[in-house]
Amino acid sequence: MRWPLLLLVLFLLAFPPIASATGLEFYQGLLTKIMILALAASSLNLILGYGGMVSFGHAAYFGLGAYAVAILMREGISSGWVIWGVAVGLSALLALLIGAICLRTRGVYFIMITLAFAQMIYYLVVSFKQYGGEDGLRARRPEFGLFELTDTALYYLSLAVLAGALYLLHRLVHSRFGRVLQAIRENESRALALGYPVFHFQLVAFVLSGALAGLAGALMAHYTQYASPNLLAWQQSGHLMMMVILGGVGQFWGGVLGAATLSIVEEVLQDLTIHWQLGVGLILLFIVLFAPKGLAGLLRRRP
Amino acid sequence: MILLETQQLSKRFGGLLAVNSCNLEVRAGEVHALIGPNGAGKTTLLNLITGVLAPSKGQIRFDGQEITHLPAHARVHRGLARTFQITNLFKNYTVRVNLELAVQARRGSSFRFWQPVAKERALTEEAFQVAERVGLGRRFEVVAGQLSHGEQRALEVALALASKPKLLLLDEPMAGMGPEESARMVELIESLRQEFTILLVEHDMDAVFRLAQRISVLVYGQVIATGTPEEIRANPEVHRAYLGDEGGAA
Ligand SMILES: Nc1ncnc2c1ncn2[C@@H]1O[C@H](COP(=O)(O)OP(=O)(O)O)[C@@H](O)[C@H]1O
Ligand SMILES: [Mg+2]
Repeated sequence: MRWPLLLLVLFLLAFPPIASATGLEFYQGLLTKIMILALAASSLNLILGYGGMVSFGHAAYFGLGAYAVAILMREGISSGWVIWGVAVGLSALLALLIGAICLRTRGVYFIMITLAFAQMIYYLVVSFKQYGGEDGLRARRPEFGLFELTDTALYYLSLAVLAGALYLLHRLVHSRFGRVLQAIRENESRALALGYPVFHFQLVAFVLSGALAGLAGALMAHYTQYASPNLLAWQQSGHLMMMVILGGVGQFWGGVLGAATLSIVEEVLQDLTIHWQLGVGLILLFIVLFAPKGLAGLLRRRP
Repeated sequence: MILLETQQLSKRFGGLLAVNSCNLEVRAGEVHALIGPNGAGKTTLLNLITGVLAPSKGQIRFDGQEITHLPAHARVHRGLARTFQITNLFKNYTVRVNLELAVQARRGSSFRFWQPVAKERALTEEAFQVAERVGLGRRFEVVAGQLSHGEQRALEVALALASKPKLLLLDEPMAGMGPEESARMVELIESLRQEFTILLVEHDMDAVFRLAQRISVLVYGQVIATGTPEEIRANPEVHRAYLGDEGGAA
């Protein structure tokens, strides 16, 4: 894993100058989007894959992060660091409230109630006409002091945030906490019988996941310079979930691989046919049937 | 000294009173057997004691304090550990990880997010000691789901031991075992007698009469008799309600 990873990082670091020299700026944008979605999908994978909590409401935190940027910029707060702090803090708080309620349920009920909460947030935000209602809200890029947030700066910023978050997640899943979180997924009643306060572990993971999704949402708002209600919609939750399933549920690189593959496949198929969603569906079906550990599982099987 | 005491403890499932005003006393240091026909409410009683189920009525006192409303995980830290009648392990994890998880639950905080747990030698060492103790030392790196039935039952006991409980609750540890495996389990429980107070739910009467200092008989969710093995053998009511169908020879 070490060499491919190093090569990938070098490639990503070197890409922007190469792209501008060869007129491939479009792909720099695509990579920025992929890195942001990889962060969001990886945050979902923490609770879905490692925690066994099938949350169907991840768009709530993702979208809230984006709206935090747009609204604060509109209100005249333009420090990127402050805006990030608010985006992450609000998403974490929302995850705390939603998690504290939803984590008392299991199975299908959990899926439905997380979805229901996310839909409530969606309709709540859309009902605020001063924040654009169904049209969404323009989100100018904030100031980060040290640098101007150009497209290229955003690319590197997204890369840095993704790398930092992945490092954090890697430490987390191999720590004491991570081991217990996975043990709860494996066998909840056994974990409880060993004396683990199951609810607290799940809630902490849920909040962390929501916070990271909020940060991804803020980056997405920088990228599109726009907070769209679509970011809060259930389709967005489904989209992130598809990425995790495609990349590998509970596989460390699942979120990254899924976000990259799905984004590229969509890009390619969109150009070829208007029935591109059918193609995406077929690929997903193949993965679910023949590769339950997703692309990460397929890659790992090779020596 | 009385370590565990239930007072008028009841659990209702819809129309069924699975545990019915149950009074049970376990003294510190004894092996106390809980016997009774299938469906008598033995497992339900253990679930009430460990906090997996909330009682409909009554009280539970443990180690001098009331624990009736304490959450299940907190009771483990007070010194209550149990095994399950139906084997309940982390089947996809090795014996090592199963036991490390059990040791970790007792030692220090598990809200540690940074250091790799796999490098914690102290966890591994203690996990290995517990494995040795139940005869699984040589199976330490084997995935739990691939152990034989008898080995899985031993691991089940080991997981409870790793929390160093004051009271060990064993729910039919010999369930589904052949005679050889059973004999080994009886030996294991005998070896634990010095160190732990044990509440043993068991069907195998030979094992019960060999291991227990006192026996309580549960029928329809009620303790109908408590006493030494001799007293229980001689109790006509127990014979009528229970021992009769196991062969009056006992
Ligand atoms: N969760 C439950 N819901 C409804 N009924 C239950 C539940 N658990 C046990 N019972 C019923 O309670 C009675 C006692 O069961 P149990 O405690 O398992 O008996 P034992 O362990 O003595 O064989 C049985 O009739 C059983 O069907
Ligand atoms: Mg039972």
